[in-house]
Parts: sequence; structure tokens; C-alpha cells
Amino acid sequence: MYDYIIIGSGIVGTTIARELSKYDVKILVLEKENDVANHQTIANSAIIHSGHDPKENTLKAKLCVEGNALYEKMEKELHIPLLRTGAFVIAHDAEEENTLNDLYERALRNGVTEINFYTKQEALKLEPNLSDDITKVLSLPSTKVTYPWEVAFACLENAIINGATFQKDSEVTQIKKTGEIFEVEVNSKEIIQTKSIISAAGVFSDTVAQMIEKDVQYQMKPRKGEYLVLDRKVKGFMKHVIYPLPTAKGKGVLIVPQVHGNILLGPTSTLQDEKELASNTKDGLNQIREDVKYLAKNIPFDQVIRTFAGIRSSSTYDDFFIQESKEVKNFFHVAGIDSPGLTAAPAIAKYLVTEILNAHQLKKNPNFNPIRVKRDAFYHLDDKVQQELIKENPFYGNLVCKCEKITEAEIMETIHGPLGNDTIKGIKKRARAGSGLCQGGYCEGTILRIIARETKQPVNKINYYSKNTPILVQETKVKP
Amino acid sequence: MREMICIACPVGCHLTIDENLHVEGNLCQRGEKYAIEEITHPTRILTTTVKTTCLLNPRLSVKSKDPIPKELLFEAMEILNSIRIENNVKIGDVIVKNILNTGVDMVATRTIIINK
Amino acid sequence: MKIDIAIIGGGAAGLAAAIAANDPAVRILVIEREEQLGGILNQCIHNGFGLHVFKEELTGPEYASRYMDAFYEKNIEFMLHTTVVDIKKTNDFLVTVTSLEQGLQKIEAKAVILSSGCYERTRGSIMLPGERPKGIMPAGSAQRYLNIDGYLVGKRVFILGSGDIGLIMARRMTLEGAKVLGVAELMPYSNGLTRNIVQCLHDYDIPLYLSHTVTNVKGKDRLEQITIQEVDSKFNPIDGTEKIFDVDTLLLSVGLIPDITLFDSLSLIKHPVTKSAIVNQFYEANISGLFVCGNALHVHDLVDYVTIESEKAGKNALDYVLNPRKPSKQVHEIKLNENIRYVVPQMIDFEYFDVPIELSFRVTKKMNKGIFKLIQNDQIIMTKKAKNLAPAEMEKMSLNPNVLIDSSPLTLILEEVEA
Repeated sequence: MYDYIIIGSGIVGTTIARELSKYDVKILVLEKENDVANHQTIANSAIIHSGHDPKENTLKAKLCVEGNALYEKMEKELHIPLLRTGAFVIAHDAEEENTLNDLYERALRNGVTEINFYTKQEALKLEPNLSDDITKVLSLPSTKVTYPWEVAFACLENAIINGATFQKDSEVTQIKKTGEIFEVEVNSKEIIQTKSIISAAGVFSDTVAQMIEKDVQYQMKPRKGEYLVLDRKVKGFMKHVIYPLPTAKGKGVLIVPQVHGNILLGPTSTLQDEKELASNTKDGLNQIREDVKYLAKNIPFDQVIRTFAGIRSSSTYDDFFIQESKEVKNFFHVAGIDSPGLTAAPAIAKYLVTEILNAHQLKKNPNFNPIRVKRDAFYHLDDKVQQELIKENPFYGNLVCKCEKITEAEIMETIHGPLGNDTIKGIKKRARAGSGLCQGGYCEGTILRIIARETKQPVNKINYYSKNTPILVQETKVKP
Repeated sequence: MREMICIACPVGCHLTIDENLHVEGNLCQRGEKYAIEEITHPTRILTTTVKTTCLLNPRLSVKSKDPIPKELLFEAMEILNSIRIENNVKIGDVIVKNILNTGVDMVATRTIIINK
Repeated sequence: MKIDIAIIGGGAAGLAAAIAANDPAVRILVIEREEQLGGILNQCIHNGFGLHVFKEELTGPEYASRYMDAFYEKNIEFMLHTTVVDIKKTNDFLVTVTSLEQGLQKIEAKAVILSSGCYERTRGSIMLPGERPKGIMPAGSAQRYLNIDGYLVGKRVFILGSGDIGLIMARRMTLEGAKVLGVAELMPYSNGLTRNIVQCLHDYDIPLYLSHTVTNVKGKDRLEQITIQEVDSKFNPIDGTEKIFDVDTLLLSVGLIPDITLFDSLSLIKHPVTKSAIVNQFYEANISGLFVCGNALHVHDLVDYVTIESEKAGKNALDYVLNPRKPSKQVHEIKLNENIRYVVPQMIDFEYFDVPIELSFRVTKKMNKGIFKLIQNDQIIMTKKAKNLAPAEMEKMSLNPNVLIDSSPLTLILEEVEA
């Protein structure tokens, strides 16, 4: 019997798991897919926003500003990458400048402390590739960029060493409450008992809530955002996150430098019915190219290496919906977590645990260890350390992913490590092998062979991602 | 009446040939010869691989030394797919002699040393 | 480790360059990342190689083997399963390499020949819309899995791009038991050899959809369906022309890019069309002692031309080490007109121009008849008639120093001749 079952291992579920593991409680994280962080968390702009955009006096505003500050602490404790880019919001004329001033006021009221204006000349000096049509810029130095799924992995790994349990391939199919105990049915067969449920089910929040509530207070309204990814050789083209002025549809198409040197262009914003259809469209990709020209010049579109799309967990409720169910005691909603969800995540976790679960009078976990030890990528270490590592383990000598400089030893570590994975995409998420310029053209075959060897499976059983997605479909010249 | 593109040289004349093997559209004699052969007995070089027991090279590339009748290609593939190379092979070695009685040998196009 | 010439890549270009650079007075080293030499030729098991160099039609492995025999015979040093991590230059080059067997090593070299081939354009770089299921792969990767490892990557296949690699794979997958449902080509004509259209598509009744492209991809985990549409003269999809195919594999044959990423850290001047180094007639880039040849310099259609070019580059690297030239002040770019996409070499060093230079170039559009004119000081100093010009076929022209008037820049133009 668990004290808490957390449904969903995206950025929200994993930060909550970590926060809860600071207390002496039995935690189980259930994830329906076969890996940690599979949907929104791996398909967003990776920005840790300053807090200029959310409406005042909302949870979004409060938790965004708090979350932004908490990332500094997480960087030290969990060894997550954090790029201190700062951000510019740009105006092109007097009307836009008025909106810029409003944003400034709003940011101050939301609690943003680092904020100032730049003139066109000052801004262009800092970012020569900005559009020549800008007139004024709002600068937000506290904006950062992280590597979202690495944060999710780090939080969950830390939660696990502090006692939490993780179960993937576990879809919640039914929830019943008998007395004070919840019976959570997983994959239509297994029943797991728990005293409380925290639903961090992303775009499926209403589906999960409907399993136990008659009258769910919100409805999910999925909104897709498409992105273009530029190769990391464009690093330096833009050093800050660049925002246009926000509209009713959202923050607009942005230019976002990434932790490893890439630049993201996007997202678009289109409502759709499907919860998981994250496809790119010709119109969407064209819209990005058009909209981004408003922000900058000399955009290196010939360096696009990838496109992707993410589905936002937007809902009919106009803020984060973080509260205990009014119908069912000890069922907690953490729903409608769209932007600034990534930024707010650690603050959402704190808010949930310290304020909402206050009534549970949780006892602290005396053995809680906040530290996650992780070494930097091999080719970011200095010569001496590299030589020592190679002496210990010659597999550091075999360079597998030429584009991102990832060694065989690092790939082996991700296969076997905590939250290890034996799929091509799982390796890509953890070690970055295959994320570069050639998108796995050179290294995919080698990675398949390494996974096969390390997991003692035949090479044609290794999946791309989900079950039953083998890259090598059939061996030739053998009887089936 | 059949239409085809001649592949004897880079020009690629568009040819037509009728039941009496009368060819039109060719700019030279090679085109006429090609069209007649394509209608009466089209042949192709077969290049493929055969399975080996070698860890480094699980497949050995092979070719037909000369073109074989086009209609025999899939049957030839079946024969080749049942072969297992267990010993060292030198480039040019005959892997299948006189495949399907065509008079044409299948030969190795590379040298491999079997390391088991 | 101190050597004279480091040759990065042991495929067709590297082997030819090494054989040409081989000399008792210099120490050369070929560095190859695979576990065997031969490069891409190892997986090109079809024939059509060597018609120019050997006057025979060979398969890829056979062509490679000719050069490997010569290479081994000369006892040229080489490292296998070794990857170059980094190249720096002060006076000499410092090449950092790594391997499982030897770990990290630094090699000092007086000259470097980059013969590292090219990589394939991917789904992302052509911004193909749709979902992102497993099953979309560049044709060369599928070729490697099939011919080297022995696996089919799918059973129901569609191919985007009618260049030779796409056509060859259409036949190859069919022979090995897959069903190939069609090939789509954006242009109104195929880029591949007519022989391949006949022997890879017509032979197997595989339809070729010219002026078509893939406009949607469906499948959550595995590919399930693709949509192709006809395009107009501006390459925009035409509504109502959608054709849907149920497939589990989409192979992409949509372009090759020279692999010169190693030089991103050096200030290599790159050409916007070839996407590789700008070189002079010695195949030397703007960084002295750095030579580039083969597909790493510009994408070739015939391996024979890779060999010829790389032999020159190898010899030039040898000369560079034995007889360093003083820097020249008379280097000029060859100007082109709109009918020529690019020319290699892009620059001519007139101070050291005393033997004929071979110019390689591609035209921008198909032409039945054309005339090339080489112009200096507004005078036509050379002309060459040509027939059946196409962007997919590299053209060659020999430039003899004795046609020059002086050391002024040259312009190469192509004019279409009406039939």
C-alpha cells in the first residue's frame, strides 16, 4: 500500500516525486509509456521564463517567478544544465512600445526583480542579428534555458534514491475508492492500493479525473506547437531568448538558444481535438519561418536538422488547476499545466506538498539526500580527466556519435544506469547520441549493436522507442 | 508494340518495337540491337549478397559474372539465399557455378576472412 | 606522434590520395573510423564503377579492392576503428584521434587531406511534415543495414527522391523480399541514370511519380501511411492530387552533404553551393596545408572522378610537404554565369599555374546543346561544345595555361544553343 501514487512522469510528476521524497512517505510514480517524460516534457522550448507574461495574481505568475529561482538550487543539487541567456521582448513601433511598458509593469507586480529596457542601438550591439525594425527592447536577465527531460530524469532518479518507486508501461485504467483507500487499476489488470493520488497526467488529466469524479471542473483543450531545430553550429547567432509581444494566442514564435548550442524556432499555436497527435504541418513550419523574420535577420534556415511538435496541456480553467478534489478526498489535481509549466514545476511541487498536503502533516525524511551525482559529457571534461577515464574504461576511447561527441562508455552507462533504457530514442534522450547534424545517420547502427550486446538481445529486437518498433524488421536469408 | 528507353549510351533514345521486331526511334545500331534483345531475351547482371558465418562481415557481396535471363532473377535469389559461407573467400571465387543452368557463375566481389 | 600527411577517411578518395602521396621521403597515415577500409564502396554492391579508370564495369567492393591491394602493397600506415575528434592548427596541424584500442592520441602533421566523404540529408533537414514514427530513414542507411548487416528495415517501402541511391535501393529491397510501392521525385525529371530507371523501376513495375513529393506521414509508433501530391512549377503541392500509400518504410534519397564538420573550429572558408571548402587548383583550402578531395569537397556521381581528383590532391599534399610554396598574391575566383551552379576548383592560383587544371562543374538546368566559353579580359580564350547537359551529371573541362592572356580573373559561362 502506498501513501501517494503520482500519475505521470513528465516534469510535473517527477518534480512532485522528488519533493515528496523529502518526507517519510511511500511513493509510486506510474507512467503509461515505456520511458520517463514522453510528451510535453520532451517537446517544448525549454525556457525558464522570468514571469513577465502570466496574468497577475494567478498561480501561473506566482509559481513561475518562484520556480525560476528554484532552478538555481536544482542546478547545484541535481547537476542539470542551465544556460543563463536572459531574454529580450521586442517592440517595433510606438504601439508595441506601450505594450512593452505594460509588460514591464506586470513583470514587476508578478515579482520579477531583474528587468530593464534597452534602446534599439543597445539591443543591436548585444544581438547584431535582431531585426533592424525594432525600436525598443525589454530585457529580462533572469530568463534561462534548461534541458527539460534531463531535469525530469534527475528529479526522478533523486526521488528513487530517496525511496520512491517508478513503474513504467503502467497505464491507469480505472480508479475506485473504498473507504479511505484508493484502488488504482493499471493496464486493466493489476490493482495497486494507495491512500492518496496525485494526478500529473498532462493532457490526459481530465480523462484520469473522470475515473473518480462525476463533475470534473475543467476540460483539456490540447494546443499544438510546432518547432524547427537548428544545428548547434549556429551557436552565437542569438544569445538571448527573443520574444515578440504576446497575443491572445500566446507568447508567439520565439528564437530560443538551447543548452547544447542548437537554436529552436517556434512554437506555433493551434487548437486540436487529438490529445497526442503531435505532427508537423507545412503551414505550421512555414508560419514559423515567416513569424521569426519579424524578430531577426540573417536567420540560418539552411541549418534546420529537425522539426517537432508538442501538445500543450491547456484547459478550460484559466490558471494552473492545483487543488484537492471537492468530490473525492485525497485525490489531488495538478492539471492545466501549460506554459509556464516547465519553469513553475519545482514551485508547483513545493506548493502542492507544503500547502495543499499540509493537512497530511507529513514527517520529514531524515535520510533525504538532495544531491544527484552526474559527470559532464566526456568531451566536456579536461584532458587529464579524459585520460584517466580511458585508462579505467577503454570504451571511453570509442567515439560513437561523431556529431555530438558521445562515447561508447557513456552510451553503456545510460543503458544500465538508474532509469536505464534500451531503445534508440531512450539513448538519444539520455546521452544525446543521434541528436546532432546527421540525426543518427552514422551512429544508429553502432548504437543498435551496443544495446543488443549490453542487454543480450538480438539486434533486430531493439526498438526505436515504444514496444514493437524495431529498426531492423527482418533478417534476410534466414527462415522466419 | 512496346515502348522502351535505350540504355546503351547516355542519350537514352525512346524506342518502339513491334511484333516483327521492327525498331524505331534509335539514333544508332546499338539501339536496335538493345531493343531486339530486350524483347526476345532480356538479361541482367545480378548483384546481391550471401550469408556468411563471419562476425565482421555477415554478408558477402556477389555478382553474376555475366548477365542472366531477367526472368530467372528471383529464382536465382532463392538459391543464393540458402547459401552459407563458412570458409575464407577470395574476390573472384565462384560461389555458385552455372547458376540455374545459365552457364553463368556467381562470383564473390570481395575477399573475406572468416573470424568465428 | 609526428607525421607528414594525415589522410582522414580511407574510402575511395582517401585510398587514392594515399597511394599518390606515398613516397619514401614522407610518413603518411590514413585514419579510418570503420573497422575496414573502403568507405561507402563496401555497401555499394551493385555495378557501374570503374568504367573510366579501369574500362571495366565493377561493383563497389571490387573497385575498392583494386585500390586496397595497391594500398597494402605499398605498406602505407593506417589506423582502423579510429575517429578524428578535433583538428587544430598552429604552424602544423594537431589532429586528435580516439579509438577503443589506443585511447586518445594527438598526431602532429604537416599537411592534412580531408577525404571524409559525405552524409545524407534527413527528414528534418527537408522539413517533411507529419508525425514522427519509426520507419523514415535515409536510403544509404537502409543500404548499409541490408548489404553489410543483412537486415531489411521494412517490408512495404516508398522512396522519396529518384537519385541513383533511391533507384538502386528500390531494386535491392525488392530482390530481398520487400514490396516497393513507388518512387516520388520532386523534379519533372529523374536525377538518376536512365539505366537505373529501366533496371530498378521498370523491371519491377515500380511506378515513378515525377513532380511529386511526400506531403504527410502518418503513424504513431511505426510508419503506417504516407501521402504524396503533385507539385506545380513552384514546387507547391496541388490540392486534390493526393495519393495515399500504406507503407511501413519511407526511404529518403534527398541529397548528400560533404562532411567537413571537423573544420568548423578552424576558419575554413566555405562555398555556399558545394557546402564545402573553397579550394585552388591544388585542392588546397584557404588554410595552407589542408587539402580536400572526393565527396568531402563536392558530391560526385562517379567514383572514377573521385579517384582522379584525389590522386591529384594526394600528389599536391606530397609536393606541399617536400617543396613548400611561398604564399601567392595572384589567386582569383572563377566567375560563373547563371547556367553553371558551381565549379571546383573555385580559385586559381595564377602564380603557380603551369600545368593544365581540370575544372569540374555542374549546370543549373538540363540542356540538349550548349557551349561553354572561358573569358579573360573580355576575350573568349576557350570554347567547348557540349550535349545532353544535366545538373545530375558532373562536367569536366581541361584548362591549359597556354590559353591564358595574363593573370587576370577568369569567367566561365554556359550558353544554351537552340536545336
